[in-house]
Amino acid sequence: MSSDHIIKSYDDELTKLQNTLITMGGLAESQLASAIQAVVKRDSDLAAIVVAGDARADQLEREVEALVVRLLALRQPMARDLREIISALKIGTDLERICDYAANVAKRSIVLNQTALVKPALALPHMGKLAQLLIKNVLDAYVQRDGDKAMQVWLGDEALDELYTSLFRELLTYMMEDPRSITAGTHLLFMAKNIERIGDHATNIAETIYFLLHGKPIQEIRPKSDRSSSSVVLSGPHGIVTDKSEPKP
Amino acid sequence: MTPKPLRMRPPETAMTESPGALNEPVAAPDALTDKIVIKDLHFYYKKYEALKNINLKLADKRVTAFIGPSGCGKSTLLRCLNRMYDLYPEQRATGEITVDGRNILDPKVDLNLLRAKIGMVFQKPTPFPMSIFDNVAFGIRLYESLPQSELMDRVQSALERAALWGEAKDKLKQSGLGLSGGQQQRLCIARAIAVRPEILLLDEPCSALDPISTQKIEELISELKTEYCIIMVTHSMQQAARSSDYTAFMYLGELVEYSDTETMFTTPANKRTEDYITGRFG
Repeated sequence: MSSDHIIKSYDDELTKLQNTLITMGGLAESQLASAIQAVVKRDSDLAAIVVAGDARADQLEREVEALVVRLLALRQPMARDLREIISALKIGTDLERICDYAANVAKRSIVLNQTALVKPALALPHMGKLAQLLIKNVLDAYVQRDGDKAMQVWLGDEALDELYTSLFRELLTYMMEDPRSITAGTHLLFMAKNIERIGDHATNIAETIYFLLHGKPIQEIRPKSDRSSSSVVLSGPHGIVTDKSEPKP
Repeated sequence: MTPKPLRMRPPETAMTESPGALNEPVAAPDALTDKIVIKDLHFYYKKYEALKNINLKLADKRVTAFIGPSGCGKSTLLRCLNRMYDLYPEQRATGEITVDGRNILDPKVDLNLLRAKIGMVFQKPTPFPMSIFDNVAFGIRLYESLPQSELMDRVQSALERAALWGEAKDKLKQSGLGLSGGQQQRLCIARAIAVRPEILLLDEPCSALDPISTQKIEELISELKTEYCIIMVTHSMQQAARSSDYTAFMYLGELVEYSDTETMFTTPANKRTEDYITGRFG
């Protein structure tokens, strides 16, 4: 914060709000890291811990909401303070969703552990690592009030989209080749989608940070590379063909 | 935050650029006219320079709020607009304040006519020790000689526009001093508008009032602005945010920032403005 309010308790409440968000951010990072670890190690016990840990994220989100309502009602914030408080509410929602997705990855990994290992599963941790990096960087941008760093995250999500599209196609192909892999493949599709969505929430947070710092939304259009919605894998006389054409406008 | 240039632009430009303008009745930008234009205004209490080179355009049929910490010059600026300072020999203003193109700082200006054109309401309600009717009729009688029935119509109309008629119509002969604080303030507004001024100066009009009376006055201000150029000094940032279209922030006798109210309270350009409105000042 640039300088202190005349009323000290106002600063205390704003600091508490920021600290709660930072705690939530730390939780989101560790939940995702553990979920990925559970997939890599096929560790169902660790996955169960992640699933149980989601309740903490819900509780922290409620704390953020309560603090925001209190600040709005009692302090009538203006200008940057108002953006600070509105941003906290939005970031809290995004972080809670990130934790939900991490828990879902963990939950599905327990099912995955009951099936034979499918090869595309090995690509999932790579996506997870990239999502972790986006979360870490966007939280750093929030703590350091670094708009440039937030913009890097905003642009960086495209790489995650590309990984997702590629894994999506790989899984479809794999499932067509060997229908016994459909159970594992379907769960992996959802897990990959969850991680891809985590990246989207990281970009939401980046947009919020930009608004917090500049008082206006980002004007550019975000580059997106999730082409899974237009991907087609066909089984023909020459084997399985993946249609990699660009989506129709 | 990216520093924005200090905005001294005329309200016409502000109207076209401000998203807040969309909340108002749709009007062509050229429907807004500058009622008051202040140029290079300096004001002195003896040798103390209380206003330093103020340049400002105030829009007709809009509410402009002056905000700033105590001693920043906002009330002084308001008092310049009807030459209230003329009552005191050691106070003087230099520069130019034009109202409809005429410089009111010109010594040849008839002060009585000027003040008929520019009504003023003060922080503390100042009803005269006379009946409610006479309070409102007082100004009219000064400037016009009307038959009783017409005078009655004018008093009623002023009380209606000041949202006091319903409460006062059955006790017009009772003393204005018997009204509540909020009613007294609305009586003063009725007295000010009874002489059909074009500009209304409000010097902290709600600072001595309870919240309900304050809301009534604010509602009244929003109704009156369709007819008048209203300038309001207020210590309440929330009141400036709620009631005004444009806000000027002053500090140490200088105009620091002037913008449409929405911009002022969401993304002020000047750090000092932001520190003040967010309660970080000093």
